[in-house]
Amino acid sequence: MNEELENELKKLRPVRPSAELISRVERALADAGETGAKIIRPERFRVNWLGLAAAATFLILARVDFRPTEKTKQTNVSATPPLQQKAAALPNYQATGLTQVVYSKRDEGLVFPRGAEGPSRRVRTAKRETFRWRDRQSGAQLAVSYPTEEVTLIPVSGQ
Amino acid sequence: MENVATHEDWKVCFSELAPGLVLFARQWVRSPADAEDVVQDAFVRFWRRNLSIKNRALLHAAVRSAALDLIRRDNRRARREVEVFGEAERSVQPQFEQLDDSQRQLVAALDHLPRDQREVLVMKIWNELTFAEIGEALGVSQNTAASRYRYGLAALKKTFQPQ
Repeated sequence: MNEELENELKKLRPVRPSAELISRVERALADAGETGAKIIRPERFRVNWLGLAAAATFLILARVDFRPTEKTKQTNVSATPPLQQKAAALPNYQATGLTQVVYSKRDEGLVFPRGAEGPSRRVRTAKRETFRWRDRQSGAQLAVSYPTEEVTLIPVSGQ
Repeated sequence: MENVATHEDWKVCFSELAPGLVLFARQWVRSPADAEDVVQDAFVRFWRRNLSIKNRALLHAAVRSAALDLIRRDNRRARREVEVFGEAERSVQPQFEQLDDSQRQLVAALDHLPRDQREVLVMKIWNELTFAEIGEALGVSQNTAASRYRYGLAALKKTFQPQ
């Protein structure tokens, strides 16, 4: 039954794009070719088996961890000012704690940031942060809680 | 003599891929003109980065990314497209050529699928990507891509009865 349905779907032919699109892309490629002399050389993409074997050996020996580290992570947007900055605004209060509760972390897939060399993976993290301060003299406590959202771009290399 | 792929090869390749890519882009932007803009933008950006044209997963990810960028750039229009996009536009600007009654029914059923299932179906059926490539383009596992495909077909079966 699945095959039958798949065949029915395959019979549908997507509408051809306008001829204008082809010529627009052709012009854009020609422009880009003139300005950047971009020529794709297929051999560039061929796998260099010797290099691959060497890289594999290196990975096994070095046990390189590909998980993004703090250094490789590039935070694009964060609405959270640093704790020190907040504390400076309250001279009599001493910061006593910060709680961050991540309640949503969504991988939005590959994106191509303008000006970047290659694709990146965009991860959107929603958190609730709670800061606590304590007045040094009176002992009064103050807590501020608010939602924050952080967008992280993690460079990806797959080619 | 070295085998050099110039933009002529890209042009040929683009002509072959364009219908499927435009259909894929139309899963987010319903206007054909916007979809063509998205595909052009993504394709040229892809070409400029010297990425391998054989990497169809990355090409589809580029189209998806460009479509989402367009939506975010114009929130008001995006809302209108998401909320107001309705039967009128669907019927006036078809995504497929020369449909008979049964096929129209099938396209209507397809339109009502959840977006995550529909995009997998579009990539698999009309762009002929493997589940591994679909997973890579969407940032999900191969198994998740295959599951969405199966769920999509199952949902289509419920609403569409071949004549």
